[in-house]
Amino acid sequence: MKLSTHTQGEFTVAVIGETRMDAAVAPELKHQIAQLLDDGATRIVLDLSQVTFMDSSSLGALVSLLKMVGNRGDLIIAGAKGIVAELFKLTRMDRVFRMADSVDAAVGAVVA
Amino acid sequence: MKAMILAAGKGTRVRPITNEMPKPMIPILRKPVMESIVELLRTHDVQEIVVNTSHLAPVIENYFRDGTQLGVHIAYSYEGYMTEDGLEGKALGSAGGMKRIQEFSGFFDETFIVLCGDAWIDLDISAALRQHREKGGVATIILQEVPHEEVHKYGVVKLDERQRIVQFQEKPKPQYAVSNLINTGIYIFEPEIFDYIPSGVEYDIGSQLFPALVGAGEEFFGIKMDFQWVDIGSVPDVWAATRMALQGKIHGFDMPGKEVRPGIWTGINVSINWDRVKIKPPVYIGSSTKIEAGSKIMGPCMIGANCVVETGAEISECLISDYTRIGGMATLDNKLIFGGECISPDGNVINVSETQIRWLVNDTRRVLNPSDIHDMLLFNNMLSFYGELELEREKEMA
Repeated sequence: MKLSTHTQGEFTVAVIGETRMDAAVAPELKHQIAQLLDDGATRIVLDLSQVTFMDSSSLGALVSLLKMVGNRGDLIIAGAKGIVAELFKLTRMDRVFRMADSVDAAVGAVVA
Repeated sequence: MKAMILAAGKGTRVRPITNEMPKPMIPILRKPVMESIVELLRTHDVQEIVVNTSHLAPVIENYFRDGTQLGVHIAYSYEGYMTEDGLEGKALGSAGGMKRIQEFSGFFDETFIVLCGDAWIDLDISAALRQHREKGGVATIILQEVPHEEVHKYGVVKLDERQRIVQFQEKPKPQYAVSNLINTGIYIFEPEIFDYIPSGVEYDIGSQLFPALVGAGEEFFGIKMDFQWVDIGSVPDVWAATRMALQGKIHGFDMPGKEVRPGIWTGINVSINWDRVKIKPPVYIGSSTKIEAGSKIMGPCMIGANCVVETGAEISECLISDYTRIGGMATLDNKLIFGGECISPDGNVINVSETQIRWLVNDTRRVLNPSDIHDMLLFNNMLSFYGELELEREKEMA
């Protein structure tokens, strides 16, 4: 799975470089983000702006990660659009995750 | 008068609905649009109807059969072939389809009306026929006046002072439009029209036959009629038509079922705990459907037959087709659920099996598999966990 990370202020921004997030990438996604948490990142912004398809297993992996983060930090979803955004709404996960239109909005909103 | 209903189109703009259902079979509140057309024809004493079919022909042919149940005679002219892989449609175009029928039997031996099977209309066909006879042309096009800014969606027609058609424009920009009279795709013809249609080739009424008539100097006319014309040419159109029907905005549309509460219609054998379900009209709920306590339905909403709406589900302004289970965690806002797809009017389509959200939206007859149940529990846990967190936060704030 293509994933690149960089820091922006106190945030670790993880950019998903895949267009499809399905069962084939879900375990890898979970592993790599869990690694970021292990390495000490607490405030993570996940940039989904390149993703055009997501299924239940990848969304499930994000849910597990959010549980890992718990109250100790943030896992903010940025740039979800089209059917990816629809999937969050349909499953009510838009009420569970903090959602932002873009990485900048995510970082800005929390700073403000 | 005899009739021909055009039903051979592929309906590409109504995908994915038309992947399994040809456009004339798309229902407005349970009744296929074409059935309303057949009923209208019968009301105006048209009893012999030939339907040209192609794409998904059996769906139409098995539903209407020979027409007896609707009090008319219906015959089909199938355009296509049987191949190793099954039926393969090859549509001949609207005029080509007419010509094929005429060459087969000479069916059109008197004045006849041709109309599309995919728009709901309440045209006074008898009045249109009277005007056609007064004009005396070989063809009469039924026209409608539309606001000037909408002409770009239609074929525009210019008439002279005798109502003769002198010019056509296909989807002109408003500033170039020669009038605001549009072609509704409803035509009355005399059998002499076949002199102008070549045989054995694809030929279209609007873009080929009429220009040929103009070219030949043949007199034909346009008559402006005032009637309701509800097109279902696209997915948003289907939803708009259903909304209009629910809101009572389609004149003369008979609501199915019984009105059991103000603005709430149901079929029979429904299971609803009225005291514990929140429903805002207008809503239609189909027969053998169960609405569980603690669910929320905000109209305009149409829920098909044999559906289950589970405790906690929130449905607002949706069209849900038969045999759909809506899970308790689902929030459906402005969606069409059809054939395993969750369609937004803006064109986004979520396929429930591809996205593996059958735990959320499913066919009521399908049994959930272990991975569905795993996901359901995972998301459910998360939602309740989050709910508790919220409560704690609220307490802290207080």
